[in-house]
Amino acid sequence: MLSRRELLFGRLRAGVSRAVPSTPPPPPPDDSPKVAVIQGRHCLAYRELMCSTCYERCPEEGAIVIERGIPQVVADLCTGCSDCHDVCPAPTNAILMLAPRPTINRGKP
Amino acid sequence: MQMERRDFMKLAAMTAATGLAGSMASRGSTALASTQPPLPDRPDIPGVTWEKAPCRFCGTGCHVQVGVQDDKVVAIAGDRQADVNKGLLCVKGYHVGMILYGQDRLTKPMARRDGELVEIEWDEAIDIAAKRIMQSGDKFGFYISGQSTVPEGYAAQKLMKGGLSNNHIEANARLCMASAVTGFLSTYGVDEPASCYDDLDHCDTLILWGNNPAEMHPILFSRVMDRQARGEKITVIDIGSRHTRTTERADHFLPMQPHGDLAIANCIAQQLIEQDAYDHDFVEKHCNFRADRDPSAKFDAPIDHDTYVAYVKEEGASGLFGQAISFEQYKKLVSYYTPEKTEELSGVPASQLRMLASTFADKSKKIVSLWCMGMNQHTAGTAINNLVHNVHLMSGHWGKPGDGPQSLTGQPAACGTVREVGTLAHALPGGRIVKKEAHREHAEGFWNVPKGRINPKPGYHTVKMFEMLCTPTDQGGDIDTIWVQVTNPGQTLPNTKKLFKAKAKLKDKFLIVSEIYPTATTALADLVLPAAMWVEKNGIYGNSERRTQQWFKMVTPPGEARDDCWQTLAVARRLYELGHPGLKDKDGEYLFRINDDAGNEVPYWEWEHYYDINVDKALFDEYRQFTFLKHKNVAPYDELVKHRGMRWPVIETKDGQFKETRWRFVEGADIYVEKGSGIQFYHSVTKDNKAQMWFRPHQWPAEMPDDTLSLNLVTGRVLEHWHSGTMTMRVPQLRRAMPSAYVEMNPEDARDRGISNGDIVRVTTRRGELKLPAWINGRAKPLRGQVFVPFFDENAPINDLTLDAIDPFSKQPDYKKCAVEVSRLDQPHAYSPEDDK
Ligand code: SF4
Repeated sequence: MLSRRELLFGRLRAGVSRAVPSTPPPPPPDDSPKVAVIQGRHCLAYRELMCSTCYERCPEEGAIVIERGIPQVVADLCTGCSDCHDVCPAPTNAILMLAPRPTINRGKP
Repeated sequence: MQMERRDFMKLAAMTAATGLAGSMASRGSTALASTQPPLPDRPDIPGVTWEKAPCRFCGTGCHVQVGVQDDKVVAIAGDRQADVNKGLLCVKGYHVGMILYGQDRLTKPMARRDGELVEIEWDEAIDIAAKRIMQSGDKFGFYISGQSTVPEGYAAQKLMKGGLSNNHIEANARLCMASAVTGFLSTYGVDEPASCYDDLDHCDTLILWGNNPAEMHPILFSRVMDRQARGEKITVIDIGSRHTRTTERADHFLPMQPHGDLAIANCIAQQLIEQDAYDHDFVEKHCNFRADRDPSAKFDAPIDHDTYVAYVKEEGASGLFGQAISFEQYKKLVSYYTPEKTEELSGVPASQLRMLASTFADKSKKIVSLWCMGMNQHTAGTAINNLVHNVHLMSGHWGKPGDGPQSLTGQPAACGTVREVGTLAHALPGGRIVKKEAHREHAEGFWNVPKGRINPKPGYHTVKMFEMLCTPTDQGGDIDTIWVQVTNPGQTLPNTKKLFKAKAKLKDKFLIVSEIYPTATTALADLVLPAAMWVEKNGIYGNSERRTQQWFKMVTPPGEARDDCWQTLAVARRLYELGHPGLKDKDGEYLFRINDDAGNEVPYWEWEHYYDINVDKALFDEYRQFTFLKHKNVAPYDELVKHRGMRWPVIETKDGQFKETRWRFVEGADIYVEKGSGIQFYHSVTKDNKAQMWFRPHQWPAEMPDDTLSLNLVTGRVLEHWHSGTMTMRVPQLRRAMPSAYVEMNPEDARDRGISNGDIVRVTTRRGELKLPAWINGRAKPLRGQVFVPFFDENAPINDLTLDAIDPFSKQPDYKKCAVEVSRLDQPHAYSPEDDK
């Protein structure tokens, strides 16, 4: 069985890649903790353009939710894996990976 | 404006130059205060020039601004001046420029020698094609596309029917729009929608018949969603067999079993009659009744539903135009479709059917029905198209802004090139048909060819043409050569093993393919002609709302890739040089002679001279003469240059201006409607200015699930990809967002089979099997008993598995219904061909 992450990443296609990306791949992630932040002004869904890629491809159940078509990151569940950033098809990538805000009063140990 | 280097890099990577500020609302109708800041003008970047073009992809027909620098497309922006999209684009549109720059563009002609494709020179390639066509005679077929430009379609059409007296010319729109055409013809007597997209700005109820515009026509759907976001009340009713992104935004979802639509539309009529809520005035003034057979020829009194069905089965249907029946007979037949009976046939609860009928009964509502492949790819496609027109006619929800049926096209020039130029086996330009002597004479007159040049017998429709290609010659396969342009039948025909891949074994058959990238079709090609695409050539498209859109060549095609239109015309010229008599007109002149302003012939068939004149303009203005007969007047080429498309009929006013038409057959909007008639169907089948309301009974799909294959297979597109993915799979952003095919299942069907999300499963039909990952509760959720597989992925050729059953009138195949089973790999096969023996 494929994991949720692998499901749509074309594991079946191994060795049959023809269309070669002409943009550089995203920079390698550094190790510091990150959280995804969706920038509404760049997000297709915020303009009723019916995009839901980040929500579909997020490997953490519930870390991105959609309401009336608009995706939102649930920061507590986001692991900072940056999958959503990597797949965002908006003309200007709408997802920033930022350092999480200090975890004050989150009610967690 | 000084640009930062970082910004420039962004641009060079062709991200959308204007960003997304704004929405439809901010630049739409001014009824409500805008909630978004206006879009910035397209950026003023030194060295970048901008020009308009329609988007290369879907039938919506958005306009983009294309930014060019150093002979390269470097940026794309939504076109603010375009009525269709008002500056916005969908995710495909924003990345459309990248389709030119995949690394494996075809740049050199190739011929198959000892099984391998080897590079050859253009001159030899044209020679091979011309000689082969000469030798094949009426065994040659030309297969083009709803993405071919109007001049490409016109050149191919004139070459085939006016030059070679060969009617085997088809286009992939047969697979996509044919049932909409037969629906319009049999209801109104003339093809193409009477309504336009403006209706989406005025409607208060949107009914989706097996339609998922959120993914397939995103800009049109956003036009409505944007009104909702501004606080307008628009009720969305989604009738379908799959819970989609569109359904998420709907107020009502009517869960329909396949072919339930036929019963549902009849049920609305039954309810309107039973409650006496139909529009008496409209029906009396503007409608006649019609059916496959008029029972009064045999029966004295109106007969009931089952007797009628048996009667037609015995007698056969009386062609596309059927026979007139009385209102009493219609009423009796349709009375069968009570909400309870319809619930049985369609799966939609009777209460929802009553709700739907009462929506149509409400005169104060403004209702738009949208449909596309759900109704067209249907073995009763003509019938369901008729029935949806019916409910609008009968309820009087017709011909007012925001109130009427709107058929959508999948492809950007299915209307412009295929339906209007008539690049189908039975058709001639401008709504004419080869069977009619008068129509042939018109065309022979415009083309100045001898009387009798055009063959009166229709050629093969698409499925038949490829079936004949794949049938050995000694078994009657009487097509031996096909030239394919701007489409990928190797991946998109139904039942591709039978209708395409079987060609591999037949050594005497020959396939010529004009293409931009390697595809499943070039894989079997004997001659590959590298093609220019989109803004590498001049072009004209025509979208779903009768809008004809022109663009100019902006960049040089790569390597030796050349315009499809040039390829056709170069082969035509070679045929002329080889002495083919059809390439001369009746005065002995070359059939495709084009003169310069001084009256000298231009040798445009030589590539170096192709752009010495504007061949598109010459062909288009010649084609334009054909468009007046059926009142489909397109604007002159020079007028189209000035506009972001114009909706025909385009009327020349006294002061030399050109005015487009938004609503056909409606007084005040359509100049051809006589004063005082309100609505006039002036191409009426019955020649009395009335539309036909059809009785069409419910029927079951051609292949139904059974004990072995217990589910139904639906195929279709996804938001990110265009058809077979040839272009969009080469755009990194789109490919990353949607990298490969999957099988979408209902969670309960999956659980019954022990299948979890992400499992690789076996998908089996009577034609073959495929391994795919299961996607459960993903982007969409099919009803129980339904599975969905997209067809964009060349590594998961789902059309190997689909059925090639066709609608009897339109000859369009049904890609949405065939029996299928899905099983875990560790389970035994659901089916083996042995089972059928
Ligand atoms: S794909 Fe269709 S909806 Fe999207 S931008 Fe192009 S024409 Fe518009």
